[in-house]
Amino acid sequence: MPEKSHHSLPVAQETLHDMLNRMLPPGADDGDLYIEQSSSESLSLEEGRVKHISASTHQGLGARVIKGEAAGHAYTDRLEQASLMDAAMAARAIASSGGKQTPIAIHDARPVLQLYQGSNPALQVPLADRKRLLEKLDALARSIDPRVRQVFASISSSFSDIHIIRMDGAHVHDARPLVRLNISVVVEENGKRETGGAGGGGRFSLERMLDGSEAERLVREAVRLAVLNLDAKAAPAGSMPVVLGPGWPGILLHEAIGHGLEGDFNRKGTSVFSRKMGKRVAAKGITVVDDGSIAERRGSLTVDDEGTESQRTVLIEDGILTAYLLDRQNARLMGMTPTGNGRRESYAHPVLPRMTNTFMLAGSNAPADILASLKRGIYAVNFGGGQVDITSGKFVFTTSEAYYVENGKIQYPVKGATLIGSGHEVLQKVSMIGNDLQLDPGVGTCGKGGQSVPVGVGLPTIRIDELTVGGTQA
Amino acid sequence: MKSAALSARNKQGMGELSHHLVEAASKAGARHADALAVADTGNSISVRNGCVESVEREDGCGIGLRVFVETAKGLAFASASSSDVSPAGLRALAEQVVAMARISEPDPDSIPPVGADHPDAADVASWQKRHPDREAGWSLDDARQSALACEEAARSFSSEITNSEGADASFGTTHVAYASSDGFAADYAKSSASLSVSVIAGTGDGMQRDYAWHRALHISSLRSAEDIAREAASRAVSRLGSKAMQSGKATVLFEPRTATSLLGHLIGAINGRAVLQKRTFLAECAGQKIFPDFVNIDDDPDHPEGMANRLFDGEGTRCSPSTLIDAGQLTGFMTDRYAAGRLKTRATGHARRGLTGDTSIGPSNLIWRAGKLDQQAIINTIKHGLLVTELIGFGVNGVTGDYSRGAGGFLIQDGKIVRPVQGITIAGNLKDMFAGIVHVGSDMTWFGSTAVPSIAIEGMTVAGE
Repeated sequence: MPEKSHHSLPVAQETLHDMLNRMLPPGADDGDLYIEQSSSESLSLEEGRVKHISASTHQGLGARVIKGEAAGHAYTDRLEQASLMDAAMAARAIASSGGKQTPIAIHDARPVLQLYQGSNPALQVPLADRKRLLEKLDALARSIDPRVRQVFASISSSFSDIHIIRMDGAHVHDARPLVRLNISVVVEENGKRETGGAGGGGRFSLERMLDGSEAERLVREAVRLAVLNLDAKAAPAGSMPVVLGPGWPGILLHEAIGHGLEGDFNRKGTSVFSRKMGKRVAAKGITVVDDGSIAERRGSLTVDDEGTESQRTVLIEDGILTAYLLDRQNARLMGMTPTGNGRRESYAHPVLPRMTNTFMLAGSNAPADILASLKRGIYAVNFGGGQVDITSGKFVFTTSEAYYVENGKIQYPVKGATLIGSGHEVLQKVSMIGNDLQLDPGVGTCGKGGQSVPVGVGLPTIRIDELTVGGTQA
Repeated sequence: MKSAALSARNKQGMGELSHHLVEAASKAGARHADALAVADTGNSISVRNGCVESVEREDGCGIGLRVFVETAKGLAFASASSSDVSPAGLRALAEQVVAMARISEPDPDSIPPVGADHPDAADVASWQKRHPDREAGWSLDDARQSALACEEAARSFSSEITNSEGADASFGTTHVAYASSDGFAADYAKSSASLSVSVIAGTGDGMQRDYAWHRALHISSLRSAEDIAREAASRAVSRLGSKAMQSGKATVLFEPRTATSLLGHLIGAINGRAVLQKRTFLAECAGQKIFPDFVNIDDDPDHPEGMANRLFDGEGTRCSPSTLIDAGQLTGFMTDRYAAGRLKTRATGHARRGLTGDTSIGPSNLIWRAGKLDQQAIINTIKHGLLVTELIGFGVNGVTGDYSRGAGGFLIQDGKIVRPVQGITIAGNLKDMFAGIVHVGSDMTWFGSTAVPSIAIEGMTVAGE
């Protein structure tokens, strides 16, 4: 008999045991059951009122069978015997022949260090308190600057309770909290409108988000950015040196190299980084890591969605490509070890190799010296989103706070401009690395194959000798 | 047995769920409520290098409830969704959302789901006749054969195709029911099938990837596997040897595939809720000419080729065709009942409703009417320009209209395509871009629920070398 787990499962363990044994054909390489119960709550303020509170509660099961390069998946939210057995048989559809695997017993996996609280953040702070916080932030934004016309504020929390039963019967449990506070404002002066935003969060309690000082800092930041952009001039157009500030500009790494190092693309040879293992892909002095094991970060995971413990993976060491981001299937097919990067948005999505928290280690330059080195170029300290074509290596990211610089001195703020470069070239053009590594405030969401997962990035101040700036001033 | 009937994943089952939810809300103390129940079943298959890579089967059901409660200061509301469709689950959801609404701040302009301009029984009957429910027409095995044929045709298109990201075929059906506390209840089922393929040309640092896809309500109107394969492969091959072009002003010709994004920016900017919040650069432009005379754009919720046909919107308001841009003039904003109330206009039937959240605003089928010249004839008129076949990134500011995106395509010089281009950006301001349209092509093409021709815009800035 399988041992009883101390974590509560929404499906009888006997049923899961049956499913696993029916689902896995002889010769299956891998397979698992993924049971998820999740809930979320969100409050949003606009026009001075918390007009809308919303919540959602969902549960379901994903069954997966893997054989060679093929995978069978079935997802259902009907957690009753007949539907579950249907799902098990549908997942098995990729296997050509019948037959049974030797019986598997379900047992608790070896416990690993928890990186965050195991309880639902929504239960820690009453809705009414969260509402009052948003009202306070709205009033603060309007008091900071009379040009503030609109304030949008939202606070959301979610909690996912996950059970993974692997092919060998190992039962892995994880409970993942996530909180997020977002502020954006519209300012208006002489008929000209601009917007600015700021946000933060992570895998921690709502109490910390409500503590006040961080929330107030975000409001000041949103207003500062909006007002700054009122005076922004057209950005230049063309190729020039660019200095990136610390923290969120690490989205450069996420787009330029992170996606290109995901195992699926490299196994298939479709990434511009395919077959570059052991080769120079960045300037000397550059070390880039993906680390899912930092406590309470937005991109962190105690275990990934295949039950592999999170780890710190050095992707680029002193400029040389040293590792890919791997889930179990791609690791097996490539003869490598899984790196804890197998992730899925929910039970109703397949596992893909994904990033966690991706950042560059600090160098030795003083940030002021890096800025001073810029004869004519752009100093970009804040960004919106980015995107990459992993095959050609072309990537973009768009500034939300950037300045035109001449002779090492900031001249004026410039309007949002998209920067474009080549992932396999850009890090070879980094000539200075700051001593000021920062991680982002906890706002990243990464999209791949139609799935969104929370991620983190980080960067010290760096100088890139050449990048194309997509302004209108040619 | 009642719970068995409740979980039937068809229109009747969803209809019962939405009805029971509205009842549960009223029992829990809601003054008004509306509910949505959605069941999705689908299958998808992907193949790569001639072998099945993944088979997926989805079976999901969700319910969403929005309630309004009476408070001393007016109506307040909240919404919630769940996948627990048991009678106890419905009750728990209703109680949770009513408790949340009591904490929400009332909005004096709030419009409860009562008394919308609903379609009547005759409308429903004639709609059903014209849009009968039917499956998309594929079995899993048919879908597998189509995906295999599509990938094979793309891989064998040319010796320059060196790798494949595979082909995907998927099909499924969504059953949706809506009910509101004024007694309106309606439902629909929608099936669709889609086929896509992505292949790679060239090797090493010179690799180029491109794709093609098509989606249709029924496989009888789906583009053939060979046709989709040819498009993806020829696009990938034509990109080989791409490099940047010189920075400067240029005429930018968006092919239909990339022009759909321009339509998306327009729709975001004429959203009534964005107008209320002054989050759009077109907030003051109702009734004004924002495009040249030859630009006409329609929203048509009842079009034989459209994927977004609908009889009623997310609030049960009857939908009807409208012209959004008439000879260059913005006729008005798209509204739900709330935005219409505050903007003092008529609700245009553009309420959109997900399982969770307030209503938002969105189009049905969008049609940018075709112009006179074909794409080649437009190219012939361009002295220095860029044909844009790919856009990446999110560099569009909806408040100011500032636009800066990564692009790829083909350099045009003296009326001819010269070579492929990548690694550049195109930039401008949407207001100037809309006004700067010089040609609308005759090649209007459908992409799901959007039909767009080629669009040429003068005076944009290219950033490259």
